[in-house]
Amino acid sequence: MWLHVRLSEVCLFLQAMFILACCFSDMESGPIATSGSVQPNGDRFKIEGRAIVPGVKTQDWISSARVTVEGEEYIGFLGTDGSFVVNDVPSGSYVVEVISPGYKFGAVRVDITSKGKMRARLVNFIKTSEVIRQPYPLQLRSSGPRTYLMKRETWGWTDFLMNPMVMMMVLPLLIIVLLPKVVNTNDPEMRKEMEQSMNMLNPNPELPDVSEFMTKLFSGSKSSSSKAIGGSKASGRPAVKRRWCQNITCTSGLRNYCNWSCHGNYNAIFKKSFFIRLYNCFLSRVFFPSSEIQVCK
Amino acid sequence: MSKPTSLFVIFFSLFVMSEAVFEDQVGKFDWRQQYVGKTLFAHFDSHSQSSKKLFLATDKNIFASFNSRTGELFWRHVDKAGPEGTIDILLLHGQGDNSGRLLRSWDTNMGGLNWEAVLDTGSFQAACFVAMQDTVKHVAVLKKAAISLHYLTNGHQKWVENLPDSDTVQYQAVYSGGEEEVYVLGVVPNSHLTIIAYSLEDGEIIKQVTWSRTLCVVVGHGVLMCVDTATLALYVDTLVCNRLYIPVLVSSQPHPARSPISEFFLQLGPDHHVLLQLNADGYTIAPLRDFQPSDVFPPQLYVHAFLKKDDSVGYRVLVQTQDHALTFIQQPGRVVWTREEALADVVTMEMVDLPLTGTQAELEGEFGKKADGLFPMVLKRLSSQVILLQAWLAHLWKLFYEARKPHGQVKNEVTIETLSRDEFNLQKMMVMVTASGKLFGIDSKSGSILWKHYLENVQPNAVFKLIVQRTTAHFPHPPQCTLLIKDKDTGLASLHVFNPIFGRKSHIAPPALPRPILQSLLLPVIDQDYAKVLLLVDDQYKVTAFPSTKNVLQQLQEMASSIFFYLIRSDQGNLSGFRLRKDLSTERIWEVVLPTEVQKIVAVNGKRPNEHVHSQGRVMGDRSVLYKYLNPNLLAVVTESTDAHPERAFVGVFLVDGVTGRIIHEAVQRKARGPVHFVHSENWVVYEYWNTKSRRNEFSVLELFEGTELYNSTVFSSLDRPHLPQVLQQTYIFPSPITTMEATLTEKGITSRHLLVGLPSGAILSLPKMFLDPRRPEVVTEHSREENLIPYAPEMPIRTEWFINYNQTVARVKGIYTAPSGLESTCLVVAYGLDIYQTRVYPSKQFDVLKDDYDYVLISSVLFALFFATMISKRLAQVKLLNRAWR
Repeated sequence: MWLHVRLSEVCLFLQAMFILACCFSDMESGPIATSGSVQPNGDRFKIEGRAIVPGVKTQDWISSARVTVEGEEYIGFLGTDGSFVVNDVPSGSYVVEVISPGYKFGAVRVDITSKGKMRARLVNFIKTSEVIRQPYPLQLRSSGPRTYLMKRETWGWTDFLMNPMVMMMVLPLLIIVLLPKVVNTNDPEMRKEMEQSMNMLNPNPELPDVSEFMTKLFSGSKSSSSKAIGGSKASGRPAVKRRWCQNITCTSGLRNYCNWSCHGNYNAIFKKSFFIRLYNCFLSRVFFPSSEIQVCK
Repeated sequence: MSKPTSLFVIFFSLFVMSEAVFEDQVGKFDWRQQYVGKTLFAHFDSHSQSSKKLFLATDKNIFASFNSRTGELFWRHVDKAGPEGTIDILLLHGQGDNSGRLLRSWDTNMGGLNWEAVLDTGSFQAACFVAMQDTVKHVAVLKKAAISLHYLTNGHQKWVENLPDSDTVQYQAVYSGGEEEVYVLGVVPNSHLTIIAYSLEDGEIIKQVTWSRTLCVVVGHGVLMCVDTATLALYVDTLVCNRLYIPVLVSSQPHPARSPISEFFLQLGPDHHVLLQLNADGYTIAPLRDFQPSDVFPPQLYVHAFLKKDDSVGYRVLVQTQDHALTFIQQPGRVVWTREEALADVVTMEMVDLPLTGTQAELEGEFGKKADGLFPMVLKRLSSQVILLQAWLAHLWKLFYEARKPHGQVKNEVTIETLSRDEFNLQKMMVMVTASGKLFGIDSKSGSILWKHYLENVQPNAVFKLIVQRTTAHFPHPPQCTLLIKDKDTGLASLHVFNPIFGRKSHIAPPALPRPILQSLLLPVIDQDYAKVLLLVDDQYKVTAFPSTKNVLQQLQEMASSIFFYLIRSDQGNLSGFRLRKDLSTERIWEVVLPTEVQKIVAVNGKRPNEHVHSQGRVMGDRSVLYKYLNPNLLAVVTESTDAHPERAFVGVFLVDGVTGRIIHEAVQRKARGPVHFVHSENWVVYEYWNTKSRRNEFSVLELFEGTELYNSTVFSSLDRPHLPQVLQQTYIFPSPITTMEATLTEKGITSRHLLVGLPSGAILSLPKMFLDPRRPEVVTEHSREENLIPYAPEMPIRTEWFINYNQTVARVKGIYTAPSGLESTCLVVAYGLDIYQTRVYPSKQFDVLKDDYDYVLISSVLFALFFATMISKRLAQVKLLNRAWR
């Protein structure tokens, strides 16, 4: 029972809403009826307003500008002070626009009742009955010059250097190259400290031994390098490569460029070729992101 | 290490989306020419001798200011087209313009409006400035039954008076000589003349004089010339002319506060003018100079005579000839500039490929002929190579020679002799037909007029159709265009056959067409001279072929059963299809009647015959193919309801097969009215209409698909298509009215399509067809994303970056012509209306040619650097190896 009452209430409410809506739409459709059939001797009205381009002298833009009402149905011209009057407009609802090749202006919808009452509101083509009042006589302010042209993308060194990818590559390199020179890695205390910090960063001992590798690298085992060079001369480079860098593989993910696991002693050749490989690997990740490429085996 | 990366950066930048015109491309491929139309009123700015302003009001309802030295526009105001915007008179005193019901005053320096006043209704007769003690303060406007006086400063009305006996007296002129009186001249035909003097202060009639005819000179009964001895005023009126030519007097009154200067022009004949002077005694007239303008057409003259410092009379003349050319002549008869104002009203146009040069033709000839043995072929090849080498050397020499000259002297003058096709066929000849009957040949690259031809005896209401019968591709035969000129009222037509490159009339005699022509169609059949055959259907449904040689008639007889055409009778709402019989008579095979009480046919449009469709279907997200319904015989018929009530108005679109008459689809847009603009191409129709309920413009797109299976994939036949196509439709809001619409066109149809939309603001919007795709989904799915479908949005965007003509607006765009170029990516566009604008568009970017900002320097420097780096490192490695070996 209660439900029934409730329902009928809802119905009533809906009905009321509907009637209201009808009223609104009626009010809206008022001007249309007159705009559809314009009597030659019917009342004619004028639309007044003023257009302003901030910071630009009127003489620089008014000669090429004009005011159009509903396309080109009625046309007005701009006065020397930017004001305009469009005469001889019958009642109806119109979109008024200031057209200037140089400057942007927003459009305004002006409703004129059959008695000559004017109302300006924002143009909304989707919700046509929505009313957001605008001042009348119209005050049209330009929102700035129109942008027709695109700037060429010029190529400069700064653009290139500021590219995030390049930054990602260059900065670590700089660190790797410069850090050993700044920090004296031969100092045992320093080495210990570094190891500790590395361990803190990388608490899992199972993970690739980056810290170990780094510290050993920084210690710069120059004594072993000459020996290794001699060895490489004897056995040929590919063999050395195969020994030192078993598999530098690229895996997905941006941060994790390359995983490596190399065993044994490090030598100068490795030190050089490693970075080239790392770089290649990076390039391949960046430019061929969908495929996993094994750079070296 | 950075070098390869930089290469990659460049590589990527090639794929960066670029929609708009780049800053450095402004004016590189595009040009605009502004016109105003046929001059009705002209005034010289006579404030000072050095002033170079010239004011014109034209039949296109334009009020413009020109530079009289160069003929360039200072500014221009475009009023409403049609009778409502007609300018009745243009007066000049620092400012002033007068327009029918509206009286406007303009600032001539800035081109701004001073004021605008609404006049009472009534037909306009005359107007003049009224001065008092050397200062102009008022404007008098004479209407049919009233005279009103307005303040010049603000346009307010001072007084308005009814004219006495306005139903019998024709008031024709108003004059003020600097006193406090305004004189109105009225004529009672064949009886007497009335002059009424009004007081300036309150509009009271001071005196009213009625003169008998004897005091006025009537030449024949064409021109009425009256000399008012009291004010030294000279009245000239043309009543009815029945003689061939009537002498016309042209006087000039430099300042309204003073009397007209005593020197005046008497036009004795079409090409004969005499400068006369009224002597100081006021009775005798002495001839000063006798001169004849160069043009043969009866011109309209605007003379500005002025006293030079040495008290001799100088003059400047603006001559408006019948072919709408405007010529400015200075003192010694020197032509300062000429404007071809006929181009303000281009009716139709075509673009014709330029001919190959002699050497190019020679090379082409080598491939065209059949092989005549190995040895001659080799010889021919060698000789052509030699010719090429020669041409190249000549080119080099020319470059070298020009480089030595001072920079300013080098000019690339385009003349008709030097015209030749460029590498990518981007430069073409624009053949433009104007409403005045003047034909123009314009170079599409520079916009210079290369030839013009005035067709005399063209009726003002003629309809033109321009047909390219033979292109430049058939070398020894000259290209051939045919212009069909048809009188709109009688339907009688004539043909003008000409060479589109040189503008010369062809020696081929066109057939006589005694009966009104209903339809013309260009067949793909060619005669032995490679000219396409034009069929003309007269009102008895008899067919005339042009050219009608034996060969053509034989071919027509063979093909007759497969030649169909349609006729539209929009006044009867009748659309009918015909087939050609072997004896060149026709038989009606179908008829569609759209009752005229309900709706009227507004436009019928087939597809463009030179359109190519590259892909037969669209690959969908699930990898199946949706085949397009590509019916070459499809006609789009647009109708509008006769009932204009906003609730009942509708717009209908019918898709009819032109061969069978079958209605493929029918779409009715309720609560809509025209004007309907539409484009019919490939498998889609896009149309635009006005939604009367929501008061907005809407775009609707219809796309036709065969489905996922093609019925007969090898050949399309209208007679054998059992299944109706699937039709998809979507509608969008367009936030601006439009004036015209066209689709881009490319050589092979691979490039995606754009719609070129002319807006009333003068901008031409390049709207990607992608936005007008009825398959745009409301909910984005995996499949739609795969297909690159844009999610549906009700409102269509208008971005100023898509305006292909940036700030070079084209006033009153009437038509947009698109033509393919030799490059697949590039489409040539010409927009015409009041102005003419030519540009190139790249709907899918320039994928087949290096961009004009391609960085040759960087690429070559990187390459060289790499090359040297490898050289040096190789050397270093060698040295190192050697050292190591020594160790």
